[in-house]
Amino acid sequence: MTAVLMAMIAALLIPMVEAFQDEDIWQRMLAFASIATKTSVMILVVSVLRDDWMIGMVGVLILSVGNAALMLLAHIIRRLSEVMEEY
Amino acid sequence: MINILSYVCIVIGLVFWFWGTWPLLGSRSVLFKLHSLSVADTLGSMAIVVGLLLRIPHEWPLLVLGLISLAIWNTVLGYVLAYCSTQEDS
Amino acid sequence: MSHSAITDNYLYVIMVLLPLAALMLVIQTSPYQALVIRGILGAVAALIYAVLGGADVALTEALVGTMLAITLYAVAVRSSLVMRLGVLSGEEVRSNLHWRPLLNYLRALLNRYHLRLELVTYDDVQTLHQALQTKDVHGTCLVCRPAEAVQLPDDDRPAQHSNPSTVPVDTLESPYLITLRVPRLYEIFTTELPPVMAQVKALGDDGLDDLRTGDRQPALADASTLTEDD
Repeated sequence: MTAVLMAMIAALLIPMVEAFQDEDIWQRMLAFASIATKTSVMILVVSVLRDDWMIGMVGVLILSVGNAALMLLAHIIRRLSEVMEEY
Repeated sequence: MINILSYVCIVIGLVFWFWGTWPLLGSRSVLFKLHSLSVADTLGSMAIVVGLLLRIPHEWPLLVLGLISLAIWNTVLGYVLAYCSTQEDS
Repeated sequence: MSHSAITDNYLYVIMVLLPLAALMLVIQTSPYQALVIRGILGAVAALIYAVLGGADVALTEALVGTMLAITLYAVAVRSSLVMRLGVLSGEEVRSNLHWRPLLNYLRALLNRYHLRLELVTYDDVQTLHQALQTKDVHGTCLVCRPAEAVQLPDDDRPAQHSNPSTVPVDTLESPYLITLRVPRLYEIFTTELPPVMAQVKALGDDGLDDLRTGDRQPALADASTLTEDD
């Protein structure tokens, strides 16, 4: 199970590298979306690993709410791009 | 038996994760990356959660809620991101 | 946490991600990029808090630290990093194609300073000038044709001693005259906007002759007395 978590951390590093190197804001949003999903699934894995219901509930909440923040941010950036071409 | 099955599910999910995330590093368009990310990432995450569900069946309400929110939110998020990112081209 | 001693090694690796994300956030210069990176930092921080056992802290980080803070900051940045340029409504609608190169150039120029250009239309020159005086807009852009001299309203404020009653018509230069109220914007525009695109003038400056060579010092001194409000 620890090996699974290590592989998950390696998978988490890929979008972080992407967010670091790419200057385009939509590519960074994609990386953010990927990281948000991956971290919450990792929280779920840790909760099952420790058999801790409390952490699992936090993971599910973050999974369902974290995406809402992403959509809000995406809409605000889109409104921005309407006035300012090629940000 | 159940344990092996759960491991198989989790490993399949991990493979999907790497498969879907690896195109992020390339210099393709946003929509191509979004496609691979939303399909493979969501399927991978759902496979992992199913693996966890097989492992600990008594936490099923929580994990089923996680499955449902994964399926719904990631689909909607894919549509929203695609809509928002293509608006600036037109 | 009894079994944390067994699984300590993955914990260390997860902990490394937090300063990594924080470093990425700190070296960002664009405010919107920084907001996206802040979201990544929030997700990683929530993961670490949850793994370390602080479920309530992780939930607060995800809800307040990531969602609420990012939304509020995005709205704040969007409404504050903007330059409002007042134009006449009739001119903009009528000759949109003529405006296009200047507006594109201005957008590209302001883009480098992470500013956004917002056009505010006014019906006539009087309300446009009024808006500039009452700090509704940061600057105005007028088209001066050789045939006509745009008549500005007489200012009744005694402090504004050198307000021109007539905008000078320069037939050799660009027909656009940009009047700026904010000293910093005037600095940026005079140094980076070529004179063929538009003439730049600070508010309260006579601007009868060439601004870009000799009269810059008095213009800046005059403009610096105005308060900057953004």
